Amino acid sequence: MVEFEADLPADANALDADRLTASKASSDVSPRSAGCVLALHNVTKTFGEVRALRGVDFELLEGEVHALLGQNGAGKSTLVKIMSGVHQPDGGSLEVHGEPVSFFRSPAEARRAGLAVVYQELSLVPSLSVSANIFLNREPSAMGVVREGEILQLTRRLLERYDFPLDPKALVGTLPFARRQMVEIIKALAGNVRVLILDEPTSALMKGEEEVLFDAISRVTRRGVGVIYVTHRLREVFRLSQRITVLRDGQGVGTFSTSAMNMKSLVSAIVGGASVVGGKATSASDDEREQRLPEPVARVEASDAGGKEGAPYLELRGITNDKLHDIDLKVAPGEIVGLAGLLGAGSTEILETIFGLRRISRGEVRVKGKRVRSRRPADAIHMGAGLVPDDRAVNGLVMAHSIDSNVALPSLGLFTRLGWYLRRSAISRTRRAMSDLSIKAPGPATTVGSLSGGNQQKVVFAKWREPRPELLLLNEPTAGVDVMAREEIYATIRDTAQAGTAVLIASSDFEELMRLCDRFLFVVDGRIVHSATHSEVGTEERLNSLVHQQRDQLWEGAQA
Amino acid sequence: MTEFEQALDDGRLASRLAARVVTLAALAGRFKIYLVFLLIAAGFAITSPVFLTPTNWLNIGRNTALVSIVAVGMTFVIISGEIDLSVASVLALSGMTGAMAMAQFDNQWYWGVAAALATGAICGLLNGLLTTRLAVPSFLITIGTMSSVRGVAMLVTGTVAVPIISDPYNLVFGGGYVAVLPVPIVWTVIVVVLGILGMHYLSFGRKVYATGGNANAARYSGINTGTIKTLAFLISGLCASLAGIVLCATTQAARPDFASGMELDVLAAVILGGTSLFGGKGTILGSILGSLMIGVLNNGLTLLGVNSSAQQVAKGIIIIAAVSLAREGGFRLVRRK
Repeated sequence: MVEFEADLPADANALDADRLTASKASSDVSPRSAGCVLALHNVTKTFGEVRALRGVDFELLEGEVHALLGQNGAGKSTLVKIMSGVHQPDGGSLEVHGEPVSFFRSPAEARRAGLAVVYQELSLVPSLSVSANIFLNREPSAMGVVREGEILQLTRRLLERYDFPLDPKALVGTLPFARRQMVEIIKALAGNVRVLILDEPTSALMKGEEEVLFDAISRVTRRGVGVIYVTHRLREVFRLSQRITVLRDGQGVGTFSTSAMNMKSLVSAIVGGASVVGGKATSASDDEREQRLPEPVARVEASDAGGKEGAPYLELRGITNDKLHDIDLKVAPGEIVGLAGLLGAGSTEILETIFGLRRISRGEVRVKGKRVRSRRPADAIHMGAGLVPDDRAVNGLVMAHSIDSNVALPSLGLFTRLGWYLRRSAISRTRRAMSDLSIKAPGPATTVGSLSGGNQQKVVFAKWREPRPELLLLNEPTAGVDVMAREEIYATIRDTAQAGTAVLIASSDFEELMRLCDRFLFVVDGRIVHSATHSEVGTEERLNSLVHQQRDQLWEGAQA
Repeated sequence: MTEFEQALDDGRLASRLAARVVTLAALAGRFKIYLVFLLIAAGFAITSPVFLTPTNWLNIGRNTALVSIVAVGMTFVIISGEIDLSVASVLALSGMTGAMAMAQFDNQWYWGVAAALATGAICGLLNGLLTTRLAVPSFLITIGTMSSVRGVAMLVTGTVAVPIISDPYNLVFGGGYVAVLPVPIVWTVIVVVLGILGMHYLSFGRKVYATGGNANAARYSGINTGTIKTLAFLISGLCASLAGIVLCATTQAARPDFASGMELDVLAAVILGGTSLFGGKGTILGSILGSLMIGVLNNGLTLLGVNSSAQQVAKGIIIIAAVSLAREGGFRLVRRK
């Protein structure tokens, strides 16, 4: 095994950030390999019948951010897993600093060679502190006794170095998701890392926090570390990366210089010809797809500005509980209303309260003008509500169960006669939903956990399809979903609204809100502080600045 | 049919076939453990002339009836994501209250049955409510009730045995036959059929699976997970009390120390049957096969003349080997991430 760094002390002092840079500066990269930290040639991999990779090439230069793009199932994850030693390829070759080496046989081996991965699913121990997590299993110790003081000091230095706003003593379990991810990244950085792979790092981050991440990435690359950046958010690609490699159907479409690409050319590289996208022929016509695919900015404007003045389907009056204060809110049938706010502002809590997951201490909920008490989700579902929760793995899906089991869950009553479960009708309804939403899976019996993120999210949507809900509550509806699936989900949301469903969306993705919503409610500290129509807001940038502005105003007001 | 439709149809057929292959492969993985047991059974059949006789198999059925009946209830609890360690104590207390009720009320068999089942139901409800209301892991709650319930069984009689004089009771639940089948086997079959119905054919079963598979997702889908778990405990209590009736009717007496330690045999049977201790996965039939496998093992080793101490050692080793064979990580062919 060739290591990136010849001398890699096993003790914890190697983690000292200062020494890390020092050793980097003195490391003699042989001239012929200068620049190229990692190169894979003609990598192939099959899983059973599925050819996941068919001869992919990939090169990572020192100090670059190299975006790895492709739809779900294009082979990105497989490629990353081969690089990091999780999977062994069937064929191909690997070069590290220009030296041909054998593929890493385990993540530990890859790690020793200086390749670190930050996965979407975090690998932290919630009950331990930030510093304890960073130094997990490599604690500096004296005669078996862990030296807490040193751990704290090292952690502080690391955090300072990358300007991560984290308290080393805080328990990871108490941190919001975005902060946990920072811990994960800093943990990956706390070693002799030469290659850092980030797998959709921003999928759960907020605007402000992305900046910190991007900043940290640029600090890392300045030291010559190559970063492989896997994402579905194309804007970030332009913002961050120098080069882009696109995969499609397990093959490399090509490696491009970012400056030579624009959004349109990039989308078409990822998606291929418009006709390829939907996978096998689904019932939707290709023309229809083409229209909404490549540059899908067109929003249905017709219903803007007061077109939906009818009686609201849902009305909240002065709803107050431990997280919310005096929430007033109306959503009319067919209307799409966005809850715009920063992480932790209270948008999630508003949706969960409506859905009966949180107690209401004061205020009233009215549905079609009539006062209702929904104490639990079953009541909310009964009155026609559906919720797509924020974290599908935690709240949305039973990962180990089949698609049809998951889809049937909220409407088990429909598939029950005298207690008897009508599996056939559940399956046939699932089939219908799968083709409507173009969920790509061998069949309804496929385990949800084996699907890609985009298809999993579509399964969550499929739970709320038939009968069409009167009220659809969406929390981060496209988190961790690829471009193609995102467009399909947007289309689904619009169709549902057009059919008369009242839709309430909470999202940290302001582009998403701008593209979907007729109206916005600005949420700060559990209050709705402002509202505006789509035309009043106008652009995504303005929405972003409005959100921050509203927050700053409220906070200043509180201080005064 | 146009060419396009034909192609579409072929595609669907292919994907359905692929799904079928995946299921078959998974089944082969699941069945590996049963194949190993068939081999062991074949070994017994070769070395012992008695092993394959019908009488011997009826013996195995009778000897495993108690564990099988309790295992059905336990499967519900474990699939719902909880565990019930109090089953053996509940079995003993139910048998005891049944016997005492009959002693009290003129040796009428129905009073015995009613008292026993009511005891099981109350214990099950108690386990369920304590677990869901106090939000304490059922592992701890049922360690507590295991001890207390056993204690109650001893208290009520001052630790002495209570004889059962009702002949219908002893006959219908213990010593009788339906054709050639001993009644304990008949009761096992009834409980298994009901269990399979409840777990695999009723909507209730879907809720149990979802609750154990991901309680959050179940809750977000409108399922009252607390109620489902409590009902699973109730079923477990009822199964334990029926087993108590069968055991007491067979011995024509109730003793407070009946079936002590049996919860571990039941757990072994359920886990051998492929039910995940983490919940959300498993089958009733699997648990019964697990129970039968342990029974076959006991029976075969006895026929081979292995003494009971050595039997215990062998049984333990074989169970560990079998469970490690059956674990999911051991089989991965077609999984794709």
